[in-house]
Amino acid sequence: MAGVELLSDQGYRVDGRRASELRRVQCRLGVLGQADGSALLQLGNTRALAVVSGPHEIRGSKSKALHDRAVVNCQYSMATFSTAERKRRPHGDRKSIEMSLHLRQTFETAILTQLFPRSQIDIFVQILKSDGGNYCVCVNAATMALVDAGIPLQDYVCACSVGFVDETPLVDVCYAEEAAGGPVMAVALLPRSEQVAFLSLDSRLHEDHLSGVMKAATVACRDLHAVLSRIVKETLQEATAGE
Amino acid sequence: MGAPKLDSPSEGCVEFFVNCSANASLKFEGRGGDELATMITNALHRAFNNSSCVPRQNMCIVPGQHCWILYVDVLILEYGGNMLDTASLAVKAALHDTRIPKVEVSKNEEGISEIELSDNPFDCTQLDTTNVPCFVTLNKIGKQFVVDATPEEEACCLAKLLLALRSDGTLTAFLKEGTSSLDPESIFEMVQVGQRVGKEMHFALDDSLTKQENLTCKDKIGFLG
Amino acid sequence: MKETPLSNCERDFVLLAVREKKRLDGRQTYDYRKVRIAFGTEYGCCVVELGKTRVLAQVSCELVSPKPSRPSEGVLFFNLELSPMASPGFEQGRQSEMAIEMNRLLERCLRSSRSVDTESLCVISGEKVWQVRTDIHALNHDGNIMDAAVIAANAALAHFRRPDVTVQGEEVTLYSVEDRDPVPLTIHHMPLTTTFAFFHEGSRLLVDPTRLEERVMEGRLLVAMNKHRELCALQASGGIRLLQDQVLRCSHVASVKVLELTEIIQRALENDVQARKEGRCCGLAESLPVQRVTVACAHDAVVNNEEARRRADEVVKCAEEPADTEGAVYHRGPHTAQVGEGLVNSWVVDDNEPKSEEEQEEAMDDGDLEGVKVENEEVEELSDDSVVILETQHRAPNVVQLSDGSEEDEVIILSGKDLMNVSSDWSRVPLSVPPC
Repeated sequence: MAGVELLSDQGYRVDGRRASELRRVQCRLGVLGQADGSALLQLGNTRALAVVSGPHEIRGSKSKALHDRAVVNCQYSMATFSTAERKRRPHGDRKSIEMSLHLRQTFETAILTQLFPRSQIDIFVQILKSDGGNYCVCVNAATMALVDAGIPLQDYVCACSVGFVDETPLVDVCYAEEAAGGPVMAVALLPRSEQVAFLSLDSRLHEDHLSGVMKAATVACRDLHAVLSRIVKETLQEATAGE
Repeated sequence: MGAPKLDSPSEGCVEFFVNCSANASLKFEGRGGDELATMITNALHRAFNNSSCVPRQNMCIVPGQHCWILYVDVLILEYGGNMLDTASLAVKAALHDTRIPKVEVSKNEEGISEIELSDNPFDCTQLDTTNVPCFVTLNKIGKQFVVDATPEEEACCLAKLLLALRSDGTLTAFLKEGTSSLDPESIFEMVQVGQRVGKEMHFALDDSLTKQENLTCKDKIGFLG
Repeated sequence: MKETPLSNCERDFVLLAVREKKRLDGRQTYDYRKVRIAFGTEYGCCVVELGKTRVLAQVSCELVSPKPSRPSEGVLFFNLELSPMASPGFEQGRQSEMAIEMNRLLERCLRSSRSVDTESLCVISGEKVWQVRTDIHALNHDGNIMDAAVIAANAALAHFRRPDVTVQGEEVTLYSVEDRDPVPLTIHHMPLTTTFAFFHEGSRLLVDPTRLEERVMEGRLLVAMNKHRELCALQASGGIRLLQDQVLRCSHVASVKVLELTEIIQRALENDVQARKEGRCCGLAESLPVQRVTVACAHDAVVNNEEARRRADEVVKCAEEPADTEGAVYHRGPHTAQVGEGLVNSWVVDDNEPKSEEEQEEAMDDGDLEGVKVENEEVEELSDDSVVILETQHRAPNVVQLSDGSEEDEVIILSGKDLMNVSSDWSRVPLSVPPC
């Protein structure tokens, strides 16, 4: 916590944002031609590429197949050059496996898997540039890729991280805020029903502040949902106007 | 990225790392892409990691003690055949774009050199990429051969000739891959075609690189442009 | 070995029980199973039992050079091992996804919340620090390993004493346990987890699920909290959708549970200190409950089944008389018979197939005592591969009938008198067919 003042007296954060301000969202759908669905999403300086393929026949051992729904398979990897310090392995370490698992759990709830029994849906997410909130950017990018692939979803899955400094929840934390060691909560939300698909919290946070932080996360996710659905609509309009 | 060195004390080093991500093709999931990645890494290492191609002498700070290590990471995003050529083009472009910060070396009274990094981030040298080679892969299919093969063409190709060429057409690496044999005469013919194609490739790349440089900051586009 | 899948009726049973707010072990929704903490003779060794779930934690330490990014902080390392010892479903060697998730949760819960003061583990900044390693082994898996593991890790860390060191200039002196009393770690707080299992699309929740409940549940929420009501980690996983106030309610329940658990750990630690001071025997072997046989005979438990009997009588009274069915046995061929007149047996193609020689012989010298013996063995043989085991003949003491009258020439009828003779010798006849 030493040194850096995360929230100035005037209410500005290290990168000049307000406490409840999201970073700039940029997104493009269908960036890769070969995949069934793909999206490149950038939230501030964090950039992720998500690729979705499926639903298709189960690859590998057939015993994985589920008779009543589709198998969701996720792989999360970070490019070796994505962080300031060079990473040695792009995937396969404990953190990446945990992240893959979390992504899978998140999307198993959101995708209407019961529509595709005995098949498989792959979601591959690659972090190209990392500046905090990796999980959230991955979820948002994967959602967009799923939309691009035309896979039926319960709802958009919007994820946002929230920090907590000086009794104030900070929405969409960047790397500097994450590394300071304060509590960071990542929430994935289905905005329409306001149901939480995934929730994780690190570091200490007093229970009394929990509801405040969750409320801030909910609002942020709803804002993100508005932005994402606008992007989808615009992309659709462009595509139809072109014909 | 300063660090000590190996058997060539007065040169910097270049490290390659290729990662075939699962994004590129389903078959690269898990460890599936490792074989192709290793192949490309080795080929790049052979062709690029000598002082005649990359000016490694300039990357030395204190001979025997400190030098720059360039990490070249290649991430394959989408697989559409002819990986090696594309990767080498990307490497050349990335090297062209690389700036190495200037450092001051001063010796203190005990004879231990101190390295001081310039405070100005724009105070740096650009790498000289005139001699950086590019790969041209010639695929033999039946009795003919093709350059820039698609995945379908690669699937039915029996033998490959990998040529690393400088922009003036000099060969710097030469590698034959695949199961079938090649006639010496056809190899000669293939090299000639490869040289022609290589020169064109270099020309096109240099052209677009200079165009990029002339753009002002505002016009610069990223992936999202 | 792959875990055997859960049968549908077991699943339905558990789900029904959850819906009716009942649990198989008689607990209430928010109840923990019995927690028992035992410490080993060595410092930093601890076994935690949570019902039948049992985990062992062992803390050890060594001097290492610190991470370059944190030169003045000690290193904490956690490792949770799920070996096949706990459950045959766990694989040896390779870590499963579940194990990785649990390991990461442990790390997040105990390391990122800074429960142990790492700065006090520094010996010489940038050169020597203590690495404290907590190895946790699951010994038996009956659900909710995570909570048990966290309790064990906390208790073991609090119980642990590291050797004392002194630094004089550049010299580091390490004292053995005999020379100087080892020093405890500085524990800031104890983050404890509470696991909530969700059923019926999140409408029902249980605390501390057993293995059976874990296999049926739709998702779980893990709340790590310390006694100051500070959340240390939170993790919802397993594909459930939760509402915000559900999470808040869970955190509220967790805060109560954590207080109870902290109390239990503290008491266990105090007991151990007390025992050591008094020089009593301590250690895992001592702490195991002694199971001795104290009575020589078992008393019959008196069960009141009047009510059940009365109801059974009522049911019988009300029930309709079953239709008269004839328990006729048709012999269809060698080794094949049929009860009742159902479909025509298709096993035997030729009805008039000649009998085996042995049987015919047997038919000839019927009445002979030898013959009966042979016949008995024949019955045994028959019972191995025939469709119907002809046991009825033993029950009816008067008539032993191997085959039905439909095949007249095969009938073997032993008179009651003959059988009386036999019955006296019955004990001598090696019988593997149960008499009834």
